[in-house]
Amino acid sequence: MPLDTSTTYPLTKLRLDGRRWNELRLLQAQISTNPASSGSSYLAMGNTAILCSVHGPAEGRRGDASGGAAGSAGAVVEVDVNVAGFAGVDRKRRAGGSDKQSSRIATILRSAFQSHLHTHLYPHSTISIHVSVLSADGSLLAAAVNACTLALVDAGIPMPGLLCGCTAGMSGSASTPRDPNNDFLDPLLDLSLPEEQELPFLTVGTTTAVPVGEAAMVNDDEDEMKVAMLTMDSKVHCTYVETMLAVGIDGCKQIREILEGVIKKSARR
Amino acid sequence: MSAQRQASSASQTPLISPAELSYLYTSLSLPDGPIRPDGRSATQFRPLTAETDILPGTNGSARVGFADGTQAIVGVKAEVEKTVVAAEALNLSQHTQEEYADNEGGEGKQSSSAGHGSWVQMSIEIPGFRDDDALPVFLSEMMREPLVESVAGGQGGDGEMAGGLKGRLVINKRWHWRLYIDVLLLSQPLSYPLPLLSLTTHLALLSTKLPKLKSKGEEDPFFDDDWNAAEYLYPRSQLKSHLSSTQQVRPPVTLLVISVGDNVVFDPNREEIAVADTVLAVSVTRDTDSEGLKLLSIRTVDPPSRLTQPGVPNSENLATLGSTAAAEEAALLEPSTGEEVSGVWRPRRGGVKRRTIAKMLKLVLEKGGVGEEVLEGLEGVQVG
Repeated sequence: MPLDTSTTYPLTKLRLDGRRWNELRLLQAQISTNPASSGSSYLAMGNTAILCSVHGPAEGRRGDASGGAAGSAGAVVEVDVNVAGFAGVDRKRRAGGSDKQSSRIATILRSAFQSHLHTHLYPHSTISIHVSVLSADGSLLAAAVNACTLALVDAGIPMPGLLCGCTAGMSGSASTPRDPNNDFLDPLLDLSLPEEQELPFLTVGTTTAVPVGEAAMVNDDEDEMKVAMLTMDSKVHCTYVETMLAVGIDGCKQIREILEGVIKKSARR
Repeated sequence: MSAQRQASSASQTPLISPAELSYLYTSLSLPDGPIRPDGRSATQFRPLTAETDILPGTNGSARVGFADGTQAIVGVKAEVEKTVVAAEALNLSQHTQEEYADNEGGEGKQSSSAGHGSWVQMSIEIPGFRDDDALPVFLSEMMREPLVESVAGGQGGDGEMAGGLKGRLVINKRWHWRLYIDVLLLSQPLSYPLPLLSLTTHLALLSTKLPKLKSKGEEDPFFDDDWNAAEYLYPRSQLKSHLSSTQQVRPPVTLLVISVGDNVVFDPNREEIAVADTVLAVSVTRDTDSEGLKLLSIRTVDPPSRLTQPGVPNSENLATLGSTAAAEEAALLEPSTGEEVSGVWRPRRGGVKRRTIAKMLKLVLEKGGVGEEVLEGLEGVQVG
């Protein structure tokens, strides 16, 4: 699809949807949307809409191949991602109920949350996360990370801090090394689907550790952000990665504030 | 899990003891009317919340949530597709073109307005089930069938809906709409999900809009790109709408009805299905301006009570008969006959009385009956 990103963006500095480079899309979220689950959330980043529900921590399924030995040290996180047929612009047919994209997102989410959550508190149990993508418009993985975080908070599963995801891309000729004479970078924050198809991008997830023990005493005001997750599917010259990462982390910081607001608002009710 | 799936003809049988089953059965089959575990009356539905047009990326969408937390989301997408004319029909028409030259116009009109059932595709996603598991496939076929088979009764009906939904999808002789109906069940099915899915699909179809056609006749279709000008898939009569909004063609609704003893119970929950004598899925619709509902289909659903464990009457129970010797003797003297002892649960076997089915249908179809009540309730949901 020929896109205006490369032609008009250098002139106007406005993206297809009218945002500037460092602006997020409108992020709306709700928690406790589904009373039948332990925790649930709805999150919309622009036109990407995701519903997430968490069941557990509960006793793992009996008769599992791994048997009772699985998760003896801590809870096992299971993630199931389902991209609805009507999510995209064209209706997609999927054979056998899952496709490459959704199983990839599921794997990344599983490994991210398995190490992020305090699973050691729930030995011999399973935390199952079900993600349904209702409408897909870029930054799917990042939106899924945020939705899962909210649902897990709603379920009351302890974690060291909110895990927030965001995408960052690079416009211009990102496949060639940086030109030292004309050192001008065009990073973009929170990519939509057309931008994602056109430009190299990465998804970064950060978390802020809640200070415990000695660290709490020190009381340093600056938030210490940790990158907990980083994935990138596209090619980009290594000189650009640092900038993209910095932009992404900045986006995560903004998202974290929004998510905190959502959680506080629902707690007040 | 796999064992459950095998047995999921109606839904997983809940783990209820024979004594509880017997109690449920007795209270539901009381001659003065059933006493239901949740205190509803026989024809009362569970409270639900509904909203439509929730997904901007679809032609129509709806979400329905029952109070117990089960939710479903339905998205309808429409695509323009080239109509494949069967080779035989094509040849035939070529051969007979000369002979029936004057007749051709009429014939063409007939075939083009007929539409085809396969233009409506339905898929159901239930967490924990694969797409090709028995339950989703059975459910989607059960809901698709009345949808494509509902054909309006001609003279009174709206001109546009003359051929039912199938006819509405025809653009011209060479092009048609293909309708994809995707149903997402967001939580494990706590009860047989058919009523939930059917109500959600109904609302989604009501809110479905198709772009306004700008081309005429047999031209390649092109559409008005103004979404505000789009037309509803199920056209509504603008003038009458606020006077009596019931007078319009509606997508079908499938209701789940069970019979217990002589009683008929609507919208059963899982425990109630577990003791049902018969489970029927009844599809009704309103397809003309005339009063009354039209019955589209009745399907029997395999009742899960067939799979429950029977209770053991005291006369046969070794534990209640004191010494084992006496019990063995008793067992020898009166071998288990399989006869019904009152207060002891027996899995239901055999068919259903004609009278019971007639009673069920009467309750659904009669004026002011459950069918009308449901359709009116769904009209209360703001569409568009």
